[in-house]
Amino acid sequence: MENRLLEIKDLHVSYGSVCALWGVSLHVPEGSIVALVGANGAGKSTLLKTIAGMNRPKNGSILFSGKHITGLTPEAVVNAGIAMVPEGRKLFARLTVKENLELGGYIPRARPFIQKSLEQAYELFPLLKTKSNQIAGSMSGGEQQMLAIARSMMSRPTILMLDEPSLGLSPLVVKMMFELVEELNRKGMTILLVEQNIYQALKISHYAYVIKTGKIVLEGKGEQLLSDPEVQNAYLGTME
Amino acid sequence: MKNLKPITSVVLATLLLGLIPFVSDSEKSYLVYFLFLTFCHIVLTQGWNLVAGYTGQVSLGTHAFFALGAYTTAMIWRADLFSWENYYFDPVTMILSGLVPVIFALAIGIPLLSKLHGDYFALGTLGFGEILKVVCIKGGQFTGGPIGIMLPSSVYTTMRPHYWTALFLAFLATGVVYFMTKSRVGLALVAISEDETAASSSGIYILKYKVLAFAISAFLSGLCGSLYAYYLFQVSPEGFLILRWTLYPVLMCVIGGSGTVVGPILGSLLMTAVFTVTSIYLPGIHPIFSGIIIILVMLFMPNGIIRLWKKGV
Repeated sequence: MENRLLEIKDLHVSYGSVCALWGVSLHVPEGSIVALVGANGAGKSTLLKTIAGMNRPKNGSILFSGKHITGLTPEAVVNAGIAMVPEGRKLFARLTVKENLELGGYIPRARPFIQKSLEQAYELFPLLKTKSNQIAGSMSGGEQQMLAIARSMMSRPTILMLDEPSLGLSPLVVKMMFELVEELNRKGMTILLVEQNIYQALKISHYAYVIKTGKIVLEGKGEQLLSDPEVQNAYLGTME
Repeated sequence: MKNLKPITSVVLATLLLGLIPFVSDSEKSYLVYFLFLTFCHIVLTQGWNLVAGYTGQVSLGTHAFFALGAYTTAMIWRADLFSWENYYFDPVTMILSGLVPVIFALAIGIPLLSKLHGDYFALGTLGFGEILKVVCIKGGQFTGGPIGIMLPSSVYTTMRPHYWTALFLAFLATGVVYFMTKSRVGLALVAISEDETAASSSGIYILKYKVLAFAISAFLSGLCGSLYAYYLFQVSPEGFLILRWTLYPVLMCVIGGSGTVVGPILGSLLMTAVFTVTSIYLPGIHPIFSGIIIILVMLFMPNGIIRLWKKGV
């Protein structure tokens, strides 16, 4: 059996009396890209936020490298090695590119390596180096998404969770973004990808889960799900 | 080397201002009193600036910490706590008067800041001030009730120590804000005010930094309260637990430019001058003119005076 880096067992999350997740179980093997797809309001972001420690689960457990991280605070989760790129990027818009990156490496575990992490970020995104003193809010959408990813990489994570990285980007930039995710994965990063752009997400992922109204309704290899008639009907429309 | 320039100019300005009591007669001229009051406002304004301008949490409890500092000084003096000959401008008493508000800031800051945001935090701190006011008025012997605690004013000889201490505290407060913002801590504070979700998903322990800023602000306010107790010689709810000690700093900070180091200084200087001049020349109706000036500044310089020079800072 492959090495389960992140494992979620029977997770229940509710906002007040409204139940958002009903017993979700999934796992992310080390070194893979796992996609979590589904329509608006299905519970994708709720799941990521719960893993990141921003929501408290009512029930169930989250295991990271075999250790319980259920109910930890967000900064403790980041320090454990789980980084999240939040939906809508959430950059520090008035700060410079470099300051944004420095803030990404704020946790104690990453602090000693901050200079090295910066160099690596600039190597991965040469564009960010040329704009390092620019105000983050003044960059284009694609550049901002790059910065958001680079910022979360500054915490030197072992798993990267991306919440809708293609949101609000032009088709060409979306394509670039998915290529980037693949490149990060080739370099050894484990990725949990949440997407509404189901076609692209399934294409690059090794394994995928389809979530619907707080429950996992389908799972399988990315390519497999793409050719699944049910998925095609429900989420992709008729192709071609 | 570029970074040394503002520090040198502030140090020089402080030294020059320190000479004023030698030039101007501190007992007769209004200048020394005016600058004393301005420096006190700078201390409170910088404290508020650190919490609101940098972490984005609007506190309305400055007067509570200011009063706690004053009451601590008065109580130590009255109780003759250390059996010393002199409590007048005693550094130990003053530092303790800064630390007592810090304890209260931690006690109310941790529950308030972990649960409440924005307006609710503001109301929470305001509520703390009101509770403290009731406690002080009903406190009987311990707090001196509505009359407060009278201190032996016979020790007063001149205004000079007040002036220099206020100048030093204003310098200290500005220095604290400057070095906090230049450090890694400052970056975290700005990140929190920009976007709390992003800050916490970057691994910043939000509560710790908010409480830290709140406690430092309480320390500065407490020191200032102690100093003001040495000036009034009567520590009462009416003199200290009034909203002017919260509203003036808020006003001065916003008008000068919150979230900057120099803005609060400019705001304090300008508004203390406005309040002073209008109350001398337009007695009785001066709040109207002060109000008009506030509205004009907010209309034409919504981000504070400082941002007229530094666009986009």
